[in-house]
Amino acid sequence: MSPPDDIDLTRPKLVGAKVVRREDPRLLSGAGNYVADIKRHGMLHMAFRRSDHAHAAIRNIDTKAALALRGVVAVYTGGDIAEMANPYQATSRMKNYQATFIPPLAVGRVRYVGEAVVAVVAESRYVAEDALALIEIEYEPLVVLIDPEEALKPDALKLHDDLDSNILAEREFIRGEVDEAFENAAATAGERFHFTRTTPVTIEARAAVVEFDKGGRSLTLHCTTQIPGIVRDKLSEIFDLPGPRIRVIAPDVGGGFGGKTSLYSEEIVACAASRALEKPVKWVSDRMEDLMTTGHAFDEVVYADIAIAEDGAILGLKADVIGDVGAYSIYPWTATIEPVQVVSFMPGPYRIENYAARVRSVATNKTLTGAYRGVGRPISVFVMDRLLDMAARKIGMDPMEIRRRNLINDNEFPYKAASGLVWDKSAFQACLREAADGIGYDELRHEQQAARAEGRWVGIGVASYAELTGVGSRIAVAPGMPINTGTETCNVAIDSTGAVTASFGIASQGQGMETTLAQVVAEVLGVKVEDVDVILGDTSAVSHGTGTYASRGAVFGGGAGTLAAKAVREKIVRVAGHLLEAAEEDIETGDGNVWVKGTDRAMTVRDLARALYSDMGRVPKEMRDEIDNLEATKVYDPFFGTTTAATHMCLVEIDAETYKVEIGKYIVVEDCGRVINPMIADGQAHGGVAQGIGVALMEEVIHDDSGQVLTASLVDYVVPSAVEVPSMDVIHVEAELPGTIGGFRGLGEGGTIGAPACIANAISDALNPLGIEITEIPATPERLFRLIEAARNS
Amino acid sequence: MMDRISISVTVNGTVHTAEVEPRLLLADFVRETLDLTGTHVGCEHGVCGACTILMNGDSVRSCLTLAVQADGAEVETVESLGDAENLGPLQKAFRDHHALQCGFCTPGMLMTATDMLRKYSLETDDDIRDGLSGNICRCTGYQHIVDAVRAARDERDGR
Amino acid sequence: MKPAPFAYVRAASIEDAVAALAASDGLAKVIAGGQSLVPMLNFRLVDVPLFVDINGIEGLSGVEETPGGGLRIGALTRHFELEASPLVRDRYPVLHEAMKHVAHLAIRNRGTIGGSLSHADPAAELPAMSVLLDANIAATGPTSKRSIAAQDFFEAPLTTVLAPDEIVTAVELPPLPAGAGWGFEEFSQRRGDFAVAGVAAVVEQDVARIAVFGVHDTPLRAVGAEQAFASGGVDSAVDALRSEIEPSDDLHGSADYRRHLAGVLCKRALEVASKRARA
Ligand SMILES: Cc1cc2nc3c(=O)[nH]c(=O)nc-3n(C[C@H](O)[C@H](O)[C@H](O)COP(=O)(O)OP(=O)(O)OC[C@H]3O[C@@H](n4cnc5c(N)ncnc54)[C@H](O)[C@@H]3O)c2cc1C
Ligand code: FES
Ligand code: FES
Repeated sequence: MSPPDDIDLTRPKLVGAKVVRREDPRLLSGAGNYVADIKRHGMLHMAFRRSDHAHAAIRNIDTKAALALRGVVAVYTGGDIAEMANPYQATSRMKNYQATFIPPLAVGRVRYVGEAVVAVVAESRYVAEDALALIEIEYEPLVVLIDPEEALKPDALKLHDDLDSNILAEREFIRGEVDEAFENAAATAGERFHFTRTTPVTIEARAAVVEFDKGGRSLTLHCTTQIPGIVRDKLSEIFDLPGPRIRVIAPDVGGGFGGKTSLYSEEIVACAASRALEKPVKWVSDRMEDLMTTGHAFDEVVYADIAIAEDGAILGLKADVIGDVGAYSIYPWTATIEPVQVVSFMPGPYRIENYAARVRSVATNKTLTGAYRGVGRPISVFVMDRLLDMAARKIGMDPMEIRRRNLINDNEFPYKAASGLVWDKSAFQACLREAADGIGYDELRHEQQAARAEGRWVGIGVASYAELTGVGSRIAVAPGMPINTGTETCNVAIDSTGAVTASFGIASQGQGMETTLAQVVAEVLGVKVEDVDVILGDTSAVSHGTGTYASRGAVFGGGAGTLAAKAVREKIVRVAGHLLEAAEEDIETGDGNVWVKGTDRAMTVRDLARALYSDMGRVPKEMRDEIDNLEATKVYDPFFGTTTAATHMCLVEIDAETYKVEIGKYIVVEDCGRVINPMIADGQAHGGVAQGIGVALMEEVIHDDSGQVLTASLVDYVVPSAVEVPSMDVIHVEAELPGTIGGFRGLGEGGTIGAPACIANAISDALNPLGIEITEIPATPERLFRLIEAARNS
Repeated sequence: MMDRISISVTVNGTVHTAEVEPRLLLADFVRETLDLTGTHVGCEHGVCGACTILMNGDSVRSCLTLAVQADGAEVETVESLGDAENLGPLQKAFRDHHALQCGFCTPGMLMTATDMLRKYSLETDDDIRDGLSGNICRCTGYQHIVDAVRAARDERDGR
Repeated sequence: MKPAPFAYVRAASIEDAVAALAASDGLAKVIAGGQSLVPMLNFRLVDVPLFVDINGIEGLSGVEETPGGGLRIGALTRHFELEASPLVRDRYPVLHEAMKHVAHLAIRNRGTIGGSLSHADPAAELPAMSVLLDANIAATGPTSKRSIAAQDFFEAPLTTVLAPDEIVTAVELPPLPAGAGWGFEEFSQRRGDFAVAGVAAVVEQDVARIAVFGVHDTPLRAVGAEQAFASGGVDSAVDALRSEIEPSDDLHGSADYRRHLAGVLCKRALEVASKRARA
């Protein structure tokens, strides 16, 4: 696979440049347009009374006092909404999958703390919250399912009466002869790993503003979504409204990280309320709601074992994954997405011929889990790279060396991984090598020796991984789901004023896509970056699009943008050939100008547009009929997608008395193909690693035995500040460009995928003198205290 | 006594008078009453820092201040630093160093950095990180923000 | 997360404020910096019908020298003023250091000394400083004024001996002996968060004062550890401290871990303080 050679990005000027972002001036001056900023005449405010039980039957709801409060306009219960909105569920053709209905407001039963039960619509948020306090709900508590290993037992109470069990999905992956591999092993290592539950914590919490157009009987939902297209398509079914009458707009969105890639109950209830009341309705999540209801992340127990040969070669890998997916199967990704990815990606970038894995997604009385940055892969890498280190230790091999021996070599691509994924050529070995060089691996090992001699706990961590990004139609991001995640659309149009607009189905939540996509379109078209207006996150802009998730923005947006811009450029060249009286091969475009190669015959794209659209007579009718306009819509399907690979390395020191972990050095070396904007690419890695540090060291959603969420504030759910995140080095290797248009690979999630494993390995390395292996994260000081006390007492 | 209270607050140089409920948070007064939506709300319990503004020259959490407590005060919000066509020096430093991604934490970061730069020497990166530690950013990993504040410090010190 | 309705009055004087409190049957509360109160209001964790705002009272703010060489700090003095005060830095470097650990600049700009003492969070720095430095807390009620020794002031988590209609007006610090050394150690997982454990010490020769926070249900003068230090030095002090405190479990640390930390921090604080004392 080599890049299609007809697209000329061989000598890019704009792609690859450190262009300052186009979105910055408005965001820096307080002129951004976030959903919570939207105000409409007569707008009402919605708030939710949420369940304070993890599992209970609803016996009675009394809303009279709330409704009587001055300023309250309407109060809705689950029964009301059931009449206003069609039921929905996240279906999938995957074998052994059971979908659940997701009631927008609970009906008859609540299944997690924070589940919305009653909605109040009032003249202000303050009054709406006053009304919530007046609602009386009688609950009859039911047995609470907290432990997924209990909930999956055949005799466990069923969370959904209509289903066979609490196991919402089950899958097996088998390749080769695993048992034999283990019999022949020189060493094996195995553990029960636990990757606890986290939550995305975008600084902008979720929000929705719905406008109802009385004349057109249509709804416009402004919401903080990463997937406007998917939300629009589903709402169209839920409300029996054709596409043109339900528009979804994601304006400036304050971070997503996957937490905003689901359809949420509040969006449905806000639409229902706005339609019924014929008024604009606004809901802005507060932080407590956000921590309890935005799709949680991870939460898997993994029993895994590795077998290696004397020379360190991996002989076999076994994994049994139990994913705690919470109370319902989330729309659209289903309860399969997170746990199934864990086993799909577990073999990672390593040569593993014998693999046996099973995964089960288990429903419990907790918040739904969804797609969070990395989806499943942070766990795969954590387990795989921990096992590698543990096995290496048993045969006395250096962690670098065991990776070098097992990483797929350049001459082995394309490589079909044991789980069936295919890696296209990517710099697996080079990333490892350059990371070691970059951080000064050998030197650090010496320093570690010296530190140990002084009684200091210093450790070095390594983690390598590969991910599939920009996945096209060949493999759906969530297999068997009735949504198309394999294509994206771009429309490039030059209007009669000569302005260029590029419209996409994807949305931006801070990734700078207004800039990077403008760079790509401007490059191909031959105009200036600032001449391209990029429209994102509006379902009225293109006929089909899903959104931004799964590290697909650059690949899909860049690809579709290239195709559409190229088609428009061809039209420009046709018209210019005529106007400048030259052969089309001799026409060049650049910086907003069109000229005849080697001459001073030139015109601006703006003049060309005017000539075509407005100065009748300058372009002959036949040519106008043929060209129509300077506009093109193209759909890009990268089909296989492409591999993004990276190695992370870090140095940590653990205070031998307080057990606080300090990260001294951190390096990321990644192969993300052609980098559109290095400044933005670095920023993605920094942010990803910072989240990975949170996951590794401090972030954890904690429930008590009754299912109460104990981490319902940012005091108790601790995300890292500038002090806990070290300065880091990011190196991009552009070894060989992949077959995607433009040679782009996805890079949004990588940091979060590698960091937990890398840090856990470093901590284990530091604590090696005590024989401690980290098998559960976050490795909080409290957890380290317990491990160290136990090790010292034994 | 639950009555509304009349307040007069100077915001970005303009005097605003309004009758407000005592419970109205200053953040909501600025955003909802005055329509200055540059000030963001991210937690309403003082941890995230997104709502940070200046009151009588000092950075404060507008989510932890009642609007009635700002009566008679001078308030400055991010809008006072410069507009989209005419960014102020700190805003420019943020842009040049790519110190923002989604931009949601940014107004609070800018107002905090403004106050930090006035009150502390910020000799080292550790000092800068310490000063920023009350403002959570989920996108940038902080590195570029530290770069931007360091550049602003250098400019302040004529380095 | 918006506060429930409440009434609000601005007090022009201490008498005014105390009278408003007294007239409310113990239901009204003072609001100062609001940095502890407003989060609780936003979460609707407290239900207070009336707030008496003391921010407008003249003369309640500032750091001044007292005749004996100590300091008097007005209740409305903001945390940042204390942090930045040259008097504090020179005379009570341990307090100067402690202030840097209180939350973050924006919260220090607003939060007050009186508020922090009255709020009596067992993990907060200032209450521990007040017991360490043998402070006296001046309070005014409807009929009388009194001065309360810091060690008698804190009763339980978020509970003091103040009557509902009493207001803290100032805190007075007696001078520290010349040549005393100090140490301040705090552990929190994230910068600026409340302490999981903290220990502050002042040492002159064999005599140590030790105060702990985050490891007991009130800030505590670790008298047992102080005595042990005098007789057996640092290690005995650590052992004594670990048996004298009664930490509790929470999400940020178990009682066992806090007890462990208290010992570690105590050792560090005493060692640094002893070194400084000699220097
Ligand atoms: C995110 C965050 C982090 C924080 N971290 C820390 C930290 O690390 N360490 C720390 O010590 N603090 C911390 N704080 C709390 C902060 O220091 C508060 O400012 C302080 O505890 C209370 O002071 P205040 O003036 O804001 O009091 P308020 O919130 O106004 O009042 C607190 C209580 O004291 C009463 N009160 C106030 N003044 C008086 C008075 N003069 N007389 C009688 N009663 C009075 C009030 O009625 C109320 O009950 C943090 C706060 C936040 C929001
Ligand atoms: S909104 Fe004020 S600190 Fe988070
Ligand atoms: S830029 Fe998104 S939170 Fe900071």
